[in-house]
Amino acid sequence: MKKSTGIRKKAFPYLMTMPTVIILVLLTIFPLIFNMYFSFTDYYYLSPKNINFINTDNYSNIFKDVYFQQALFNTVKFTVLAVIAETIFGLVLAMFINSIKNYSRSMRTLTLLPTLLPPVTVALIWQIMFSNNYGIINKILSTINIKEINWLMDVRTAFYAILVIDIWQYTPLAFLLIYASLQTVPKVQYEAATIDGATSWQQFIYVTIPNIINGLIMVVLLRTIDTFRLFDKVNILTKGGPANSTATVTQYIYQYGVKGLKVGYGSAAAIIMTLFILIISSLYVNKSLKSGR
Amino acid sequence: MKRKLLPVLMLCMIVFALSACSGGIPAGQTGGKPAKLVIAARGGSHVDAINSVKEDFEKENNCTVEVLGLEAADLKQKISLDSQNKVGAYDLAMADDPWMPELFEAGIFANLTELGYKADSDFVEESLAIGMHPYGKGDIYALPFAGNVQLFFYNQKIFEDNKFEVPDSWEDVLEIAKKVNGKDGKVGYVIRGQQGNPIVSDYLPILWAYGGNVFDENWNVIVDSPEAKEALNLYIELLENGANYEKNDIVAAVSDGKAAMSLGWPSWYISGETATAAYAPIPGKVSDSSKLYATGMIGNWMMGVTANSANKELAMKFLIYVTSADCQKKAAEYGGVPTRVSVFTDEGLNKKYPYFMTILEGTRNSVIRPRTPLWTDIETAYGAELSSAISGTKSIDQALADAKTAIEAIMKK
Repeated sequence: MKKSTGIRKKAFPYLMTMPTVIILVLLTIFPLIFNMYFSFTDYYYLSPKNINFINTDNYSNIFKDVYFQQALFNTVKFTVLAVIAETIFGLVLAMFINSIKNYSRSMRTLTLLPTLLPPVTVALIWQIMFSNNYGIINKILSTINIKEINWLMDVRTAFYAILVIDIWQYTPLAFLLIYASLQTVPKVQYEAATIDGATSWQQFIYVTIPNIINGLIMVVLLRTIDTFRLFDKVNILTKGGPANSTATVTQYIYQYGVKGLKVGYGSAAAIIMTLFILIISSLYVNKSLKSGR
Repeated sequence: MKRKLLPVLMLCMIVFALSACSGGIPAGQTGGKPAKLVIAARGGSHVDAINSVKEDFEKENNCTVEVLGLEAADLKQKISLDSQNKVGAYDLAMADDPWMPELFEAGIFANLTELGYKADSDFVEESLAIGMHPYGKGDIYALPFAGNVQLFFYNQKIFEDNKFEVPDSWEDVLEIAKKVNGKDGKVGYVIRGQQGNPIVSDYLPILWAYGGNVFDENWNVIVDSPEAKEALNLYIELLENGANYEKNDIVAAVSDGKAAMSLGWPSWYISGETATAAYAPIPGKVSDSSKLYATGMIGNWMMGVTANSANKELAMKFLIYVTSADCQKKAAEYGGVPTRVSVFTDEGLNKKYPYFMTILEGTRNSVIRPRTPLWTDIETAYGAELSSAISGTKSIDQALADAKTAIEAIMKK
């Protein structure tokens, strides 16, 4: 009697977590194994009886493809610029809203609004704003005698136009995470620093930053993973153009894999992208594990 | 007891939720209820056109017809994915004409000839040919549902104010563009230079006017021929005397008089009885003295019975019905564009929709995009290189040479 009760008690947690594990296996582990397997084949969805194992041909073709190389370069460039800008702007916003006494709650809510919008909605709104004919941005420029700019069709501006949209949409997310970190900074440290004669800048460098460093790293990691997967805005606004200047890795996977139902090729490209993101995120995971010990 | 009850209840909810995700009743297995036909259609006016005529068919055949309107890329993906099911979720599907070779190869459409369908000579020949496999001479797999051919659109007021005549050569188009561009903030000629399908569709008519093409008769890639280089050079000159907009901006610019000219599809500018811009066939020659070529790009929307439909006979009956002359006449009031000669030439309809004869003439002189199942990939690569050329990141020679290399690599697969 006592033994069976003991077994039931030990089995109970496993039983309760089993539904989650089953869903995790079905929705994450199985698709990953499926993708890895088919990435070594020439599987075309409309020809399921004609699947051939082609070793690493998909991988070598992808790395040799100049369109992929350009997409990878664009993605890395976009990620670096977006993450730096969003982190800095997010930090400035968080510091500002943290410093105000009145209306800080309203300011927080208003600041978060862009992040709450679906990415497709954001892309379409900005497409209208960038429009040559009825776009508000060109209208404002024309009032100060600046000629209209073809924001999304000009190779000099298209990349940065999409970058601006991304910064506009996701700086509030960075703000939110940094703002939460700022709430954990002990006020006594600021008081002690003031007594010691530290300037505002010195307090920021020696008190604020060390206390919120984990929050900043979290922002950098999350935004790096997210921006590396940029797709919606590019696919809606520019389709990777002009001249592949806005093509990203995810957009490449869609254009050359998913759209043409080339499961094998698309799987290989997806695995490559996953590996890139794993490498980037492993740096943070290792650091977290070390600091946790 | 209560503590153990809650997790058990949650477990039951998860199990029930997962079991609810099982599929519904396959098409055809209606258990005695009226049969249901499901059509995967291109969203917009095509859905309105089908909905305007389906009621009579539903009453006569004791069935219901459900029309799903989908965006183009979504439509292609959904019908492709559904084609692998034993019993399809769709009984009929619409398809854009460049997709047809790929869809034929995948066996997505049922063979209408084998189901007993006889070719109807009232269909415009060029439109009916798209639904045949091999093109123009094989069995019929799809019927032309919506007529579509690229036209030359221009702003009537700009032309009248400047006493321009409708150009019939590309040199005339360029001359008009030069005269208009930059005066009073106006734009001469607007290209649709977005990378991919837009720029390829916009550029090919000019390439054809020079006598060039993507492939020769033996499927050799000739995108870098001397004619192609001249055509791309003209295209860039048009851009220098105009602008590069996306579709909505093109329509607004030409309709509002900000721009003088562009190429486009009828549905962009024409809705029912009204057109926001004047139109004409696309110029078929380079200069007044050069050879005349067919240049209007045909872009019919086809409709076929899916090969895995559980209601093939009823679906074919509906297909014949919805593409009949009577239905096309009625659907015209809801934005439908016919594909039958008798409808195009109907006197009453021509008074209401004067663009019908222009579309018929354009279709009869149209050019079809290369009939290869690899066209989607080719268009992607070709579009990227054309975009590089007009952006100035590559020279014309380099862009076309790279396009040739990329297309040849695709054709080798």
